[in-house]
Amino acid sequence: MTTPLADSGKPILVEPDLDFIRAIRDHGGDSLKKCIQCGTCSATCTITPDHDPFPRKEIAWANWGMKERLFASPDIWRCYQCNDCSVRCPRDARPGDILNIVRRECIQHYAFPRFLGRWLNQPHHIPLLLGIPAALLALTMVVRDPIESVLGIEKYDSQHIIYSYSSLFPHWVLNTFFLSLTALVIITFVISVARFWSAMKDAASHERIAKPQKNLFPSIMSVLKAVVKHDKFNLCDDAKSRFLPHFLLVFGFVSLVITVTWMVTARYNPVILIDFKYPLAFLNPWKMLANVGGIAITVGCLLMIRDRLRNSGRAGFGNYFDWSFLLNVLIVALTGFAAELMHYLRLEPHRHVVYFVHLVFVFTLIIYMPYTKFAHMVYRTAALVFIEHFGMNSDEPDSPAGNRSCGKPEVMDDVQETATV
Amino acid sequence: MEDKTGVFICTGYGIAEALDIEALCKVVTDDCSVPFCKTVESCEGASLQSIIEEIKNESLNRVIIAGISRRQYADHLFPDDVIVEMIALREHVVWCQPPGEEDTQMMAEDYLRMYITKVQKMQVLEPFQSEEEINKSILVVGGGITGITAALEAANAGYEVQLIEKTEQLGGWLAKQHKSIPTKAPFRDLEETGIDELITQINDNPRITVHTSANNSSISGAPGLFDVTLTSTGNGQPEGEKIDSFRVGSIIQATGWKPTDPRDHLEYGKVEDVIRNVDLEEIIKEHGRIIRPSDGKEVKSIAFIQCGGSRAKEHHSYCSSICCLTSLKQAMYLRESDDDAKAYIFYEFMRTPGLYEDFYRRAQDDPGVFLTRGEVAEVTRNGEGQLVLTAQDTMLAEEIQVKVDMVVLAAGMIPNAADGEAIRALADAKITIAKGESEAQQQAAEEKVEQLKHHEGTEILNLNYRQGPDLPSLEYGFPDSHFICFPYESRRTGIYPAGSVRQPMDGSGSREDATGAALKAIQCVEMTSRGEAVHPRAGDKSYPDFNLQRCTQCKRCTEECPFGVLNEDEKGTPLLQATRCRRCGVCMGACPERIVSFRDYSVDIVGSMIKAIEVPDEYEEKPRILALLCENDAIPAMDLAGQHRLQSNPFVRVVPVRCLGSVNFVWITEAISAGYDGVILIGCKYGDDYQCHFIKGSEIASARSDNIREKLEQMAMENERVELHQLQISEYERIPEIFNKFMEVIEEYGMNPFKGM
Repeated sequence: MTTPLADSGKPILVEPDLDFIRAIRDHGGDSLKKCIQCGTCSATCTITPDHDPFPRKEIAWANWGMKERLFASPDIWRCYQCNDCSVRCPRDARPGDILNIVRRECIQHYAFPRFLGRWLNQPHHIPLLLGIPAALLALTMVVRDPIESVLGIEKYDSQHIIYSYSSLFPHWVLNTFFLSLTALVIITFVISVARFWSAMKDAASHERIAKPQKNLFPSIMSVLKAVVKHDKFNLCDDAKSRFLPHFLLVFGFVSLVITVTWMVTARYNPVILIDFKYPLAFLNPWKMLANVGGIAITVGCLLMIRDRLRNSGRAGFGNYFDWSFLLNVLIVALTGFAAELMHYLRLEPHRHVVYFVHLVFVFTLIIYMPYTKFAHMVYRTAALVFIEHFGMNSDEPDSPAGNRSCGKPEVMDDVQETATV
Repeated sequence: MEDKTGVFICTGYGIAEALDIEALCKVVTDDCSVPFCKTVESCEGASLQSIIEEIKNESLNRVIIAGISRRQYADHLFPDDVIVEMIALREHVVWCQPPGEEDTQMMAEDYLRMYITKVQKMQVLEPFQSEEEINKSILVVGGGITGITAALEAANAGYEVQLIEKTEQLGGWLAKQHKSIPTKAPFRDLEETGIDELITQINDNPRITVHTSANNSSISGAPGLFDVTLTSTGNGQPEGEKIDSFRVGSIIQATGWKPTDPRDHLEYGKVEDVIRNVDLEEIIKEHGRIIRPSDGKEVKSIAFIQCGGSRAKEHHSYCSSICCLTSLKQAMYLRESDDDAKAYIFYEFMRTPGLYEDFYRRAQDDPGVFLTRGEVAEVTRNGEGQLVLTAQDTMLAEEIQVKVDMVVLAAGMIPNAADGEAIRALADAKITIAKGESEAQQQAAEEKVEQLKHHEGTEILNLNYRQGPDLPSLEYGFPDSHFICFPYESRRTGIYPAGSVRQPMDGSGSREDATGAALKAIQCVEMTSRGEAVHPRAGDKSYPDFNLQRCTQCKRCTEECPFGVLNEDEKGTPLLQATRCRRCGVCMGACPERIVSFRDYSVDIVGSMIKAIEVPDEYEEKPRILALLCENDAIPAMDLAGQHRLQSNPFVRVVPVRCLGSVNFVWITEAISAGYDGVILIGCKYGDDYQCHFIKGSEIASARSDNIREKLEQMAMENERVELHQLQISEYERIPEIFNKFMEVIEEYGMNPFKGM
């Protein structure tokens, strides 16, 4: 069952996908059908462009099970779920939450392979999903010695390292593991995003806006700039509670990615001319950066969890998809700190157990990235780049975007203008 | 018994402070020669008791209490054989005039003169007693949910009921439904209709006689005396054959509705799988599931289109209020049959009145129900045998198509009522043609026939009334009544429409309506048996007396009576059916020969009151205005104006009338002759959204006032000296303004030259 995309002038044949509607309702969107299409959400939204407003029409599509429309819409990725709309919705239909669930469906839809997308949304697959990295890690422990002797890899424990985790997982093991998995993740992302991009382009071409308005590179740069600045968050009513945790998480991730890249490449990188010694001292600047990043992630996660629990009307309580990702990140951060602490305290042999758990969750976070909420990073960026690239951000009525169906009452523009004056 | 008049003047409420009571008593005793004049401290409690005692002790039989407004007293305080009139000295004089002024005193004195004249002219009432015994059984026409409920309610209250149903079985539309919309909180789940249980109750009730396959081919007579003839509708017995006749006291018209016929609307009647909501119910009833008429395949998707044949200029432009609910209900049928089924509902406005909003929310919440505003442009059949529906202006902001197995048009309700007045006008026009009068008359009559011929053969009640065989209709063919203020009332006394024939409504509404109408029907037979009037002069024991010897057969009374009280003999002499009468007095106002009178209200009584005042000399600069005020709204409004201490004009003399329609225009010419400078009439709002308690009284008065202009011309008086105003009770604050403005007009024309003549 598919919903053809709008072809200007011709009526579109709508064949609602009931499974899609049920999926949204089953994952926290049980308010979906309450929408009466009054348009308060679109009028409220501070992010929506004036001449192609959302989320009214997106909620209508969701209501009518028009999933192809939604999956091809870059607009659903503009939304940061600040829930200004949900708070003001007269029927409590929670459009902000619905869009969040639609994005989840979208990630699942473009996932490669698809079954993994499904598994990541099913709690009963947790043992299996955690078991795979655990088993792979355990396998490396078994096969490591034979491989080392065959390849003649020098063991660390004797001279270089006084006291570290290398005895359990030497760096070559971890690096090989990480790098190959990262490559896999990148490949799946490339496939998924390519599908996503072509769907968006297809939809756009039906609406006569297929001509790029801006080059790709400047588009990417301006999106990245906006992502770093988090400036859209500040447009919402209740920006602070969302801005800070998300900013901390992004900052933490970036700092850890930099540190890890540094660590992995340091030994072979001719640019980095330092005497590389494992483990790094506590006051080593790289170590400090990693620790600060870890703290940022932990605090960010805790703030988000607090918000979801204590202020669910505003933040949205979320669903399994949201919570599994959030908790995964938190467990990675906490087990990381625990392993570090136990390392300093020389707690044998427990520290190895904790380290193992830490690694399992780190691997989980990375290998399942294209299927978890983590993927929003990539999809959102892609969608925003698409919007920039095709000039869909313009508020000019005669811009190509202006030709698209408009769900925001004109009169609201006047009201807003008057209000601003 | 000798007549003995007594006047009680109340000194409380500030009356004694504002007026010279002694002078008032002097007017009574000296000017009017009524020796009995007493002052009382108030008109309530012990004082009132003392008045009642005094009446008894002194054998007074004509009494005036000059104190507070009549509306402040309870009913039945005084013995039936004593005539009691109240003067609202408080509301109409002291509260709206400056105290101690000469004009205030003159006003109070005039009212005493007027009312003393009035009570001395009035006669003690003797309620109308029919020669035949008043029948107290109730006829219910129509065996649907309304008729069934009305019959049960009346029977359970102890009244015999005759229930007529034209089809073979009771139950009406409700019996044809698979399930009913929710009738109770939380308004979520469909319910069984429960109609079988009700039919069993009907059949088990010894007070109810059921006539199925029967038609009331004739109803003659009046409340308490209706003679009903039943003929067969053709099931079992030959059609038209007389099967029964009986007498009843009052009638409940529960004839229900028929669905609109949306022919030519979206291929209905052309494409087989485009059906109406009522047809869908029938399909489920017959097959137990929803199947397509064209191929018998089970239906998995339906598009419901709202306002099928209603709310459009070319159709019935009103909203039937239940079709939206029915479509939501039928969407539930489909959804309950299959979890993957889809129900689309296209509407212009989704209307689910009151708590049915909760049912709407419940249906809306169903994942397989798709609601959108939208205009369905076309329905076509595709190669797979499905229907493809195209809708514009949808909530999806674009033109959309859906593929469905079936299209259901939400048909609205047309009342099963006939327009009695139109049928009668049609018959009259035909008589004119048959008589072969002048060419112009012929032509007019032919035009009339052309215009009204669609009413031919539409009779429902078959009343033997001069004014037509059915109730008069409103714009959309619903029986004329004030359906907000006075539900179930109609313009034919003793006949109460209820349920969807009165106003489109659902089953719950019909039950409520039926109960109300049953009560009205019971009230009617009870009050009729006591010779009393029903609404709006409920309990009035007077009735009109026609002095037929002087009748000129002008037929104005039979034409103008808003309630069809009068039949005619061949010559056109009015034949009074007294139990039909509502005592408004429109006939009295209509009669040029003044042959109609009530014992307590007549051309003479009111005329004498008007002439009883003292008109000051022309040079005294004290004009006099006669104000004829309708008792239903204008008089209470006058009371309210007094209660709000709104200062009023001191030269106005108010005379209450039963209805402006009862104003005989001889009063106006008499008033002008007597020296009044102007006459003002205040009645209820008239027109399409009339508020007149007697339907047309104020409108008739307005039409008649054209005649008075001619009379005034003959007297060389200005037309402007007579004014007619419409007033609602809530507009009481307009009264002083109306009087003052009128006074300005009078000042412009100067004093009446007839003064002192």
